[in-house]
Amino acid sequence: MSAPILWIVLPFGIGVLILFLLRDRFSAWIGGGTAAILSLIALIFPIDTALLVGSISVKIAPAIQFFGRSFELNTADGPLLAAFYGLAAFWFFGTEASGTANRFVSLGLMIVSLLTASIAVEPFLYAALLLMTAAMLVIPLLVRSYQKPGKGVVRFLIYQTMAMPFILFSGWMLAGVEGSPGNLTATTQAGTMLGLGFAFLFAVFPLYNWIPMLMEESSPYATGFLLWALPTFTAIFALGFLDRYTWLRTTPQLANAILFSGIFMIASGGFFAALQRHLGRILAYAAIAEVGLLLVAMGLRSSEFVEITFLTLIPRGLELTVWALALSIFKREAYSLRFSDVQGLAKKYPAATIALSLAHLSMAGFPLLAGFPPRLALWTELAAQSLTLSLWVIIGMAGLLAAAIRTIAVLVMTDLETKWSLTETWVQTAMLGVGVIGLFILGMFPQAMQPFLASLPTLFEHLGQ
Amino acid sequence: MKKIVPKAIGQIGAAIKLIQLSPSMLILISCIFLFITALALVLLRAFQPNARYGWLVAAGGALLSLGSMFAWLTQMPFDLSLPAWQPVTLFTSPILFRANGISWVLAMSITALTFSILLTTVTQQVYVNSLAWAGTLTLGGLGILAVSAHNPLTLLLVWAALDLAELITQLSSVKGADNNERVVIAFSTRALGIGFLLWANILAAAGGSTFDFQSMPANVGIFLVIAAGLRLGVYPLHLPYSADSALRRGFGTGLRLVGAVASLSVLGHVQIPPTNLTPVLMFFAIVAAIYGGWMWLRAPDDLNGRPFWMVGMASLALLAALSGNPLGAAAWSSALILVGGALFLASTQNRWISRAMLIGAWSLSTLPFSLTASAWLGRLGFFLPLVIIAQALVVAGFVRHALRLSGRETLDSQPSWTRLANPVGIGLLLLFQLLLGWIGWDGALQVGAWLQALIASLLTGGLVWASRRFRLFNPVRAHWVTAAGTRINAIYEGLWSVYRSLGRLSQAILVTLEGEGGIMWTLLFLALFVTLLTQGAR
Repeated sequence: MSAPILWIVLPFGIGVLILFLLRDRFSAWIGGGTAAILSLIALIFPIDTALLVGSISVKIAPAIQFFGRSFELNTADGPLLAAFYGLAAFWFFGTEASGTANRFVSLGLMIVSLLTASIAVEPFLYAALLLMTAAMLVIPLLVRSYQKPGKGVVRFLIYQTMAMPFILFSGWMLAGVEGSPGNLTATTQAGTMLGLGFAFLFAVFPLYNWIPMLMEESSPYATGFLLWALPTFTAIFALGFLDRYTWLRTTPQLANAILFSGIFMIASGGFFAALQRHLGRILAYAAIAEVGLLLVAMGLRSSEFVEITFLTLIPRGLELTVWALALSIFKREAYSLRFSDVQGLAKKYPAATIALSLAHLSMAGFPLLAGFPPRLALWTELAAQSLTLSLWVIIGMAGLLAAAIRTIAVLVMTDLETKWSLTETWVQTAMLGVGVIGLFILGMFPQAMQPFLASLPTLFEHLGQ
Repeated sequence: MKKIVPKAIGQIGAAIKLIQLSPSMLILISCIFLFITALALVLLRAFQPNARYGWLVAAGGALLSLGSMFAWLTQMPFDLSLPAWQPVTLFTSPILFRANGISWVLAMSITALTFSILLTTVTQQVYVNSLAWAGTLTLGGLGILAVSAHNPLTLLLVWAALDLAELITQLSSVKGADNNERVVIAFSTRALGIGFLLWANILAAAGGSTFDFQSMPANVGIFLVIAAGLRLGVYPLHLPYSADSALRRGFGTGLRLVGAVASLSVLGHVQIPPTNLTPVLMFFAIVAAIYGGWMWLRAPDDLNGRPFWMVGMASLALLAALSGNPLGAAAWSSALILVGGALFLASTQNRWISRAMLIGAWSLSTLPFSLTASAWLGRLGFFLPLVIIAQALVVAGFVRHALRLSGRETLDSQPSWTRLANPVGIGLLLLFQLLLGWIGWDGALQVGAWLQALIASLLTGGLVWASRRFRLFNPVRAHWVTAAGTRINAIYEGLWSVYRSLGRLSQAILVTLEGEGGIMWTLLFLALFVTLLTQGAR
């Protein structure tokens, strides 16, 4: 068995089977179970190392060839796969609680496998195509077959498509720049092309307007999944670029551009989130600010920036899952998710309210919750670089905190003398409960992530050296 | 032989390590008694809802915790360090708790209050509410952790835990949209306080130093004062503590007092160096102290006036800290919890208890060998007369409320053991007030600023005398004493109008970007950014 077959082909095949053969009821368990097992395998069995299980020798081969291209997953990829499939399992189990169709699990598995392929493919520039294919597969998740696609979906597709030519063109130019690093015009052009490509992929300001629109018009759970999966792999793809091209790593202008884009996303995300009156749009802006944090981490001029980037990724996945799940529960009661429609729902849906509030507070960097340790690390490193930029990050987080406080106030404000009652199903309560416990564990003991994170920086040869 | 000696040395080393390790466990032991008892109560309620020994379990756990506090005295100072966050290259500050004179006096006050709440709760209508007891015990445990937190990271985590616990508890107990909103607003001001503590941490990081309360850079101390002041309603002057709660006497008292001391404890650990901002902060603290003291003196009863007691006492603690006297801040914090606890828990008509309560006036007097004798050892400068007035107002208010018997319940219909438990609970807090003036910490056995204390005491006497004779001091009607005064409402209105203006601005931007021409606008912006960036690159 080779690693690419196990973590790319197998989940893709299971996704196809679920789509055509299984009903909703079983798809969540089979999809979630598959992802959980793949996560455990990645955690237990090191790739490309022979292990003796009883009398049988087991070795997961690292690579396969496919139409002249190589897909390769190394030992260092193991923890990343374990974390990614573990979080995917949580998303898939959550579909049972969120009430989304089996299409989510099947397409989700296919998307996850394509994204995994994007970190395995060589030459690595092909990752852009795989990311694009994954983005295309998201469309059926967001729009039902009988629905007309909304403006948000169309814009998402436009922006993702526009990213591809820029990335591919810059890849072609970068090879030339490596050959003649003194050619300033070519360097600037390649850098601009690359920057534009990633600006579309990361949805930096003002290219992120599709995210709140999508949150308003599509299922919050599916959109949440999209907001978790794509930026995560785009970040790894971007780190790959930085790792391969020395001049990208050493150009201070590029680091500044990444840093300032991130700061702008955090500050604007926090500002807009604080002023929204729609729960879905608030999640959208919080997710934008989170991507901003990733960019700030990547733009840090510190040897620890890879650790901080990866430290941000796992809590981000958990926060988005819990938040999106809670929103899906509210959406069944109040379709629009506007403040006026969800006011006072806390007494009816206490578990969803608590989970949503904690996930939101976690994204705002509230201590004790999963989002706090990565932000603390980021603030500490950033403060050594620039106190003003740290202040802007704090302002953005304060915006998210204000949005969280407004949300809590709206959910609990009611004059009706209704009693507290748990309306959520036991599956919903259990999923939310597990998520909330996870938020606290990662917030109080971030070292719990170390088995996943410790070896991740070795994915890159030159970064953080 | 060569092999044996290192082994033996290793064993001795391990034994020494164990001995060194065990005192640190004392902090955990005191908390664990409270946490485990709380858990036991929850489990009892779930599996044996009719069990009649729940109160005994609760009181037993609190008593054990109180007893364990005396064991601290034999080992102090000692540290408890939890496993470090990883990667250690990113997280240089460990989660660290320290038991020293300051943390002991505050932790002792908290455990005494916890035990006292459980003893006095037997006479209250909500007596059988074992969840409230579990909440009281949990609060006590978190309070001990908060007062022994030894660096900002640890304090941030404990403050966050207390704030979340209070938010959930309050939201589940208050009724009505307005009260719910008030709870959320109170949470937001405390979260802002957390933000200031975090900013202090970041400032220290920017200076390249590891931030703990002992090696704090000079420029960050003031942010700790602002953080504590904000959480307690002193900066800006507001009342974060609503008077409305279903559990006002027992659990409500614990919630208010432990929460306040957890915020104030930071001031007892740090020496605040004077900066340009210090006189301004002292001025606002004095305004808050005089306002709180005046309203407390005129409050119709102790529970309605409690928010003003908190603001008044917190302001005095802040003033002590700003004058460069952390001992004073700790003394006021301890008095807040012990004197206030005795007053707010005394819900029964008992003339002897009322008279004994005057021990509280002694504790607040700052006279030599009293609990607050060390309160004014710092530099108050030209604020001194105003500080004396503020202190006298707070103490006079206390005396007025302590001697007031009307409106309290009688114990005649209660079983004999509850008639005994209640006075014991109050008596315990009074005993500790006296005890802590003499032993256990750096603020004990102090002569202090005796002349100032004498003047304040004389003024207090005058105010108590006058309050019975002049209409000016008559209690204000209860509905005036609310958590949202007119001035505060005006501030909120101002903030709301700014918020609405920003909302309109953001709406205009979003409509442009998300409208029909949104993509064109977006590309235009993008072209602009690219032009700027490429210009910058050249």
